Amino acid sequence: MEELTPSNPQHPLAGERARQPIPGAGIDLDPARRPGVPRLHAPRPLPNAHGPPTRQESQVTVFMHGRPHKDFPPVFGTAVPPSGLSGLLRRAAYRYPDHWMRHWTVLLFADRVDAWEHRLRRSLPVVLPALLVIGAGAAWKALSRRAAWAG
Amino acid sequence: MRATSYEGPYRIAVKDKPDPRIEHPQDAILRVTCAGICGSDLHLLHGRVPDTRIGSTFGHEIVGVVEEVGPEVTAVSRGDRLVVPFNISCGACYFCSRGLTACCENTNPSSDVACGVYGYSHTTGGYDGGQAEYVRVPFADVDPMKLPDGLSDLQAVPLADAYPTGYQGAEMCGLEGGETVVVFGAGPVGLYAMRSAWLLGAGRVIAVDKVGYRLDFARRWAGAEAIDFEDADVITAIKDLTDGRGADATIEAVGCEAAGSPMQRAIGVYVKGVAGSATALNWCFHATKKGGTVSVLGVFGPPMALVDFGTAMNKCQTIRTGQCSVKRYLPQLLEHVQAGRMPVEELITHRYPLEEASRAYHTFAQKEDGCVKAVLLPGTGTVH
Ligand SMILES: [Zn+2]
Ligand SMILES: [Zn+2]
Repeated sequence: MEELTPSNPQHPLAGERARQPIPGAGIDLDPARRPGVPRLHAPRPLPNAHGPPTRQESQVTVFMHGRPHKDFPPVFGTAVPPSGLSGLLRRAAYRYPDHWMRHWTVLLFADRVDAWEHRLRRSLPVVLPALLVIGAGAAWKALSRRAAWAG
Repeated sequence: MRATSYEGPYRIAVKDKPDPRIEHPQDAILRVTCAGICGSDLHLLHGRVPDTRIGSTFGHEIVGVVEEVGPEVTAVSRGDRLVVPFNISCGACYFCSRGLTACCENTNPSSDVACGVYGYSHTTGGYDGGQAEYVRVPFADVDPMKLPDGLSDLQAVPLADAYPTGYQGAEMCGLEGGETVVVFGAGPVGLYAMRSAWLLGAGRVIAVDKVGYRLDFARRWAGAEAIDFEDADVITAIKDLTDGRGADATIEAVGCEAAGSPMQRAIGVYVKGVAGSATALNWCFHATKKGGTVSVLGVFGPPMALVDFGTAMNKCQTIRTGQCSVKRYLPQLLEHVQAGRMPVEELITHRYPLEEASRAYHTFAQKEDGCVKAVLLPGTGTVH
């Protein structure tokens, strides 16, 4: 089993283990045991990293936000390509860099449009036949009324 | 394959989708064995994150087995069990090489505010997530960690996000021993932050939430004192417990859908006029002593929220924030898990087969049935 005493003898909990419900309390008190300290360390690539990465090839439409002087990153996701009206809105939003408010507000609006488009597409198999039946009914009524008048 | 599919705000389904393929020579394809549902997935589900497209696959807490590797992958091979950090990082750019893998420059065309993240909208690069049978893993021999024998999927999946994020929150408090730390939010990340605060030398940990069973969990599991903010004026209660000055440090583990202020909820959550409710963050400024530290883990999307910055400024506070650069934390946090100091799996109260993703999301979001954390187990028919 592990050592329960704090690593630092100056720690106020040192020797007070009985009061302390969490095993290992104080064990990472020493900044040298803290993985995120310092936040930026001297540059060294991660093990097995071999950058700069090869450029990914893709036929899928992937937008880059419109920051000037920025290269397209070599690796990206290809999930859910843009489509429909929401796709056009997104294309417009990505013309602007991400420090422009309108980049984000147009994207959020496109999300709402995307949801409406999806709802519309889902309801078409029900709504379309229903509209056809209603339309055919109205046309038949109009025709029969005209026939009665003519007669 | 079967995969989760975002169907618009508050709706998630499981659908047939094409299998992922190797798209870059450093990719691998993973067969997912366990995928966590994270609190931040709820922000996506609720339509709060810009450019969340209908049909997206969610999931950024991934454990799986390597099925196939690209030609430039050398360190992992078919059959290896991996835990995958939520950040997609090249390992060699300016930020990756300095330790900030959460800020990789090579994986997100869509924005400069974040690097690539699995299944987290096109704002983080448009990658498919891991709540699916298979997932594409870029930089497969850089980012993931091979799992040692004997470490279960349930012990591994919190290492992808929730546990390192919580640990980083406590680490950013800069504790020197004996401080009082208040944690807003007793969800999974908050609970990991509380227990990590003890490991990092806190003298006292106070949890704030409104969900009774989660406050009980914080008391029992994380050795915290608990305050229900619906029972008391939370800032007064914290000041009363800390000689009237406030805590030495506070951790915000709530994010953009915080309860507690009808005005913030109305403007930020219901009208969606700003990027969410910043109530917990504002409480942090008031609950922290002058000169103290506020450590922010909760997710806030662009463009902006109603933040009480004047209070932080006038109280001479240090604000520390950041997506967790998971990779650098993995060896040490694995050590804590293996030594029994951090029984991470005890938070996973609910397990579901992939097909029941909608029910899993609902139970987690509505905080039903004592749910603390839920995971999906693709490849499993029924789970008890
Ligand atoms: Zn997360
Ligand atoms: Zn990088």
